[in-house]
Amino acid sequence: MLRTTLGKVLNGGPLSPKHVGILSRASSQGPKKPEQIEVFIDDVPVKVDPGTTILQAAALVGVEIPRFCYHERLAVAGNCRMCLVEVEKSPKPVAACAMPVMKGWRIKTDSEMTKRAREGIMEFLLVNHPLDCPICDQGGECDLQDQSMAFGSDKSRFTDIEYSGKRAVEDKDFGPLIKTIMTRCIHCTRCIRFASEVAGVDDLGTTGRGNDMQIGTYVEKMFLSELSGNVIDLCPVGALTSKPYSFTARPWEIRKIDSIDVLDAIGSNIVVSSRTGEVMRIMPRVNEEINEEWIADKSRFSYDGLKRQRLVTPMLRDNTGELKPVDWEAALLTVAKQIKNAGSSIGAVAGGFADAEVLVAVKDLLNRLGSEALCTERTFPTDGSGTDLRSSYLLNNGIALAEEADYVLLVGTNPRLEAPLLNSRLRKGFVHNELDVALIGPKVDLSYKYNHLGDSPSVLQQLVSGQHEVSKKLQSAKKPLIIVGSEVLERSDGSAILAAAQKLSASTHPEAKEWKVLNVLHKVASQVAALDIGYAPGVDKIRESNPKVLLLLGADDGAIEKSDLPSDTFVIYLGHHGDLGASIADAILPGAAYTEKQATYVNTEGRAQQTLVAVTPPGRARDDWKIIRALSEIVGAKLPYDNLTDIRNRLDEVAPHLTRYGEAENANFFKQAQDLAKNVKTQLDNTPLDVKLKELSDYFMTDSISRASPTMAKCVQAVLKQKQSKF
Amino acid sequence: MASRIVSRIILSKYGYPATILNLRGLSSGPPPGTPPPQTKTSFGPLADEDRVFTNLYGRHDWRLKGAMKRGDWYKTKEILLKGSDWIVNELKTSGLRGRGGAGFPTGMKWSFMNRPGDGRPKYLVVNADEGEPGTCKDREIMRHDPHKLVEGCLIAGRAIGAKAAYIYIRGEFYNEASNMQVAIAEAYQAGFLGKNACGSGYDFDVFMHRGAGAYICGEETALIESIEGKQGKPRLKPPFPADVGVFGCPTTVNNVETIAVSPSICRRGGPWFASFGRTRNSGTKLFNISGHVNRPCTVEEEMSIPLKELVEIHAGGVQGGWDNLLAIIPGGSSTPLIPKSVCEDVLMDFDGLVAAQTSLGTAALIVMNKQTDIVKAIARLIMFYKHESCGQCTPCREGVNWMNKMIYRFVDGNAKPEEIDMLWEISKQIEGRSICALADGAAWPVQGLIRHFRPELEDRMRKFAESKQCAAL
Amino acid sequence: MAQQTVRSAVKQVKPILSLDREEARRRVVSLYKAWYRQLPYIVKQFDIPKSEAQCRQKLREEFGKHKLVNDIRVVDLLVIKGQMELKETVNVWKQKGHLMAYFKDTWEPKPQDFLSKFLAGKE
Repeated sequence: MLRTTLGKVLNGGPLSPKHVGILSRASSQGPKKPEQIEVFIDDVPVKVDPGTTILQAAALVGVEIPRFCYHERLAVAGNCRMCLVEVEKSPKPVAACAMPVMKGWRIKTDSEMTKRAREGIMEFLLVNHPLDCPICDQGGECDLQDQSMAFGSDKSRFTDIEYSGKRAVEDKDFGPLIKTIMTRCIHCTRCIRFASEVAGVDDLGTTGRGNDMQIGTYVEKMFLSELSGNVIDLCPVGALTSKPYSFTARPWEIRKIDSIDVLDAIGSNIVVSSRTGEVMRIMPRVNEEINEEWIADKSRFSYDGLKRQRLVTPMLRDNTGELKPVDWEAALLTVAKQIKNAGSSIGAVAGGFADAEVLVAVKDLLNRLGSEALCTERTFPTDGSGTDLRSSYLLNNGIALAEEADYVLLVGTNPRLEAPLLNSRLRKGFVHNELDVALIGPKVDLSYKYNHLGDSPSVLQQLVSGQHEVSKKLQSAKKPLIIVGSEVLERSDGSAILAAAQKLSASTHPEAKEWKVLNVLHKVASQVAALDIGYAPGVDKIRESNPKVLLLLGADDGAIEKSDLPSDTFVIYLGHHGDLGASIADAILPGAAYTEKQATYVNTEGRAQQTLVAVTPPGRARDDWKIIRALSEIVGAKLPYDNLTDIRNRLDEVAPHLTRYGEAENANFFKQAQDLAKNVKTQLDNTPLDVKLKELSDYFMTDSISRASPTMAKCVQAVLKQKQSKF
Repeated sequence: MASRIVSRIILSKYGYPATILNLRGLSSGPPPGTPPPQTKTSFGPLADEDRVFTNLYGRHDWRLKGAMKRGDWYKTKEILLKGSDWIVNELKTSGLRGRGGAGFPTGMKWSFMNRPGDGRPKYLVVNADEGEPGTCKDREIMRHDPHKLVEGCLIAGRAIGAKAAYIYIRGEFYNEASNMQVAIAEAYQAGFLGKNACGSGYDFDVFMHRGAGAYICGEETALIESIEGKQGKPRLKPPFPADVGVFGCPTTVNNVETIAVSPSICRRGGPWFASFGRTRNSGTKLFNISGHVNRPCTVEEEMSIPLKELVEIHAGGVQGGWDNLLAIIPGGSSTPLIPKSVCEDVLMDFDGLVAAQTSLGTAALIVMNKQTDIVKAIARLIMFYKHESCGQCTPCREGVNWMNKMIYRFVDGNAKPEEIDMLWEISKQIEGRSICALADGAAWPVQGLIRHFRPELEDRMRKFAESKQCAAL
Repeated sequence: MAQQTVRSAVKQVKPILSLDREEARRRVVSLYKAWYRQLPYIVKQFDIPKSEAQCRQKLREEFGKHKLVNDIRVVDLLVIKGQMELKETVNVWKQKGHLMAYFKDTWEPKPQDFLSKFLAGKE
């Protein structure tokens, strides 16, 4: 557990602003701003806050100081010494990443001393770094390569290569995701700091001293965390590289497309790298509001699932009950005939990967046919305000602000596995901000300490009535958050749980007016958009109405099964993976996955974002909404949009926030929602609150993409193997 | 290495030097706490009545009874009651400079701790991790005069307002640790420590922490990390330990000898201590003399005693006579060696040795006569530093290892003469570029060797090349 | 100003071959006749699966495509192109496929509406 005594002392005790500035690296406090001081970077004056490091001050005037160990989001280690710069009147060069500037300092980032220092460090780093750039996966995006070109010497004088050679280090087994070539390690300790600070896993560390120092896991233990892949990006050299990506492509031959991740409801920003029509890897893209610069392992590594189990051609079930490939014309005609025969007895179920465009298209089509049986696979309470007010189903306070909270109550959720990046925010708050967390639900490992209040819904009752021991803490918190997992809201008493949470949030006293206490954490990417567009949560409607034709929009969670439907129901599956949904379908219309279409997704905080086309859909698969559009014409209820602009205009008509990309549309009407919540008649029942994802092994395969991914399967195996290990 | 490393950084860099200047520049006359100017011109040998460590050789009882007979714990209460300002002032007057190596003025170091507190407790940490090759002064104190240290802890603790003292003792010092523990226990039983220490109304605890035998843990901040239970790796400074030290609280780290002499200074007065040695180098000091001398010993002597006199009087002279002297490492293994020509008239104090391009360090003399393979001797030292480098910073981790490889080739002469310049440059690239001063300590012996014995190195290389040519023929 | 430009443009027009409409017409007719007379030999030589009558109809169709052309310069141009075509055909510099292309376009028309685009794999 990180949360050091140092941090406690610094955040707890009243300190002079100077100390706070120097020491607290992620502190957001400091009510009165100390006076700015002036320093000179290469004779350019710049005014900075006291406590700013030389490196930060230099960045303000656009001077980038080379570095290896320093990283904005990690603690300062100051051990690579690459950032040494000359400060006037100081006899020795100074480490820019750690040294706070003092008034009037004249810093020379381009002087002879600075250059010599950098050259010396570069030389030392290369002394034991293997010359295997041609076979190194980091080649082309390697900090060491780039900086040795920029700051290193132009010749080598490493005469000892003829006598003793270079150091060789045994590779470590970090698990199925991270490939290690430890000989290349330059000991910057970024990975260690990431693991212990951000991921909250103290598995990584150094052993040995001096030249024999090694980065590793101390004992033979894999580095398994839901955020482990980020150390690949952090590693400035090729010591830690991606195992699935190894030896597949070079950075200069891939095409990079900015996109959005849909494997959880967070909507992490990603870059999809593709070459020759194939996704080669997925990397995070900086978005301070959402994922900072991390992404979870499922988002990063399940892309190989996009190449397997894909539906590549339309299929129809023939008389023998077997699905046979057909061409689009035949498929659409058959499906259209069934729809025409069914009249208005048609329903649709939206799965977790459905984008806003197809959701709107399907809704428009079904409405034209006279049906309203549109629902999402995931249930949500409809009593009280239900899904009518957005405030009851959004993560209202936003992801980024979670790190500022001072008290968080988690109800029936395991954010570490359901939304790893939200959890990393909470952990950040815990480490740097004295955040206290309480959890109602099963005891899980959240990577930080929390107060486990038990898993009984009665705890919620006690909290609402203010009789629980933590009630006082919640009441007195200045920035309280209640995060309710969408999973417990799917219970039969979900509306009672939501109502209790709403009541509880009304009883808290947040300091700032715009601070929103009630937050709902969804698990799938499509849910918020679907509810915004007007889909009904839960498939009860379908079960009751017994539709003659059922359209599954990538519904693979098994919410509805063949046995729930009359035997003559014609099931159409529109999606990209041959999973549960496809297995019960009579007709399959192959759609595009998120890397293959330009589509809109709304994340759990209500932020609309769009994916872009990185590769074309495989085989005869098509954009989802276009399939619906084509079908509508054959059915005779032609939808009035032919291209992306048209359907985006339609989205704009339905809900304007769906096309305001990048912005989170906040909800309001909390008061009204709370009033409506009083009408909820459902009582809390006594079954303990439970979550599906309890351990890391549950995390990796949760949806049709990750279930198809061999890498994810290996991860599950690795976690299970780790469990057998005595470490 | 002790706290030398630490203070050297403090001295040379930020913050503190400015303070020194201000203190001196503000007032017109000498401010209180200025040592009286030295009038003597010749120094040493030290008279017996002026010795601080009267049981250095263990001829008497080291336990409480014996210690009290020698004057320890005498009127400690009165000293404590005079208050922190008086003690700090007395230390300033004495001109005592840290005995761990860097020689930072102790009075001033303590006065940094007297800033208004913020509610955090303060701590005194005693650096008893005496690991510098050649140095063996602290172990004598802890072995034979532990009560001096315990009493010193109490007085120093009072001066800086500390709540407790941690004595970080080297793991290999088993007997010393057990003696210390006995002494601490005795002091507690006698009511000298603990609640209301010595009846002064001041609560003070002393804890002992045994290290695991890493040289780097003698570095101030690495020592703090080690006490906290982490890997002994030096921390970045700033923040200095006076701001954020052990367990995040303000801390002063002092060498054993520094702490152990402070009760005597308080009792006999600062001016008495300042009467020894040259100005700014005042006091008495434990000198360790080892190597090729007839009687290796640890001896308390006056500062500024001529080196030749020190060796001749106390160590029985160099083996084979003074003329058989090759070089002396004057301050523990990390200081550059000085050849015989310099040894003739150099004075053993901070300024005198700096003038000779070396350093007093811990005042551990390693004497080498002409039978020494000087290159091999220095190579062995570099091997030590290579082994003890913590591996945190690049220059030390990679550079010292590289130097080690090179200098072992130099031992045989298996190198080209140009590589001597290269080695010099590498040692310069290491020096002053790392977090702590271990890398400096590794670079200096090499620099000393090249500075004074370059012909020897070139000679070996020539011979090696010739023998190789012969073999080829 | 604009009128002036137009006028000057008209003024500067220089005939390519024919001086007036009548002359142009004569050239067209003679080209038509030349083709007409060659058709029986072309059908035989190229062994195309079309009868003489069909070819004559196609010839008329091809000329008819340009019946609304008034500009004598364009007429002259088309006549020259027609003569080149004829020469290439008679000398058998063309092949069978080239002739058959008169009867059927070798390219598919691009789908215009959404559904046909979709079925053609264009959307």
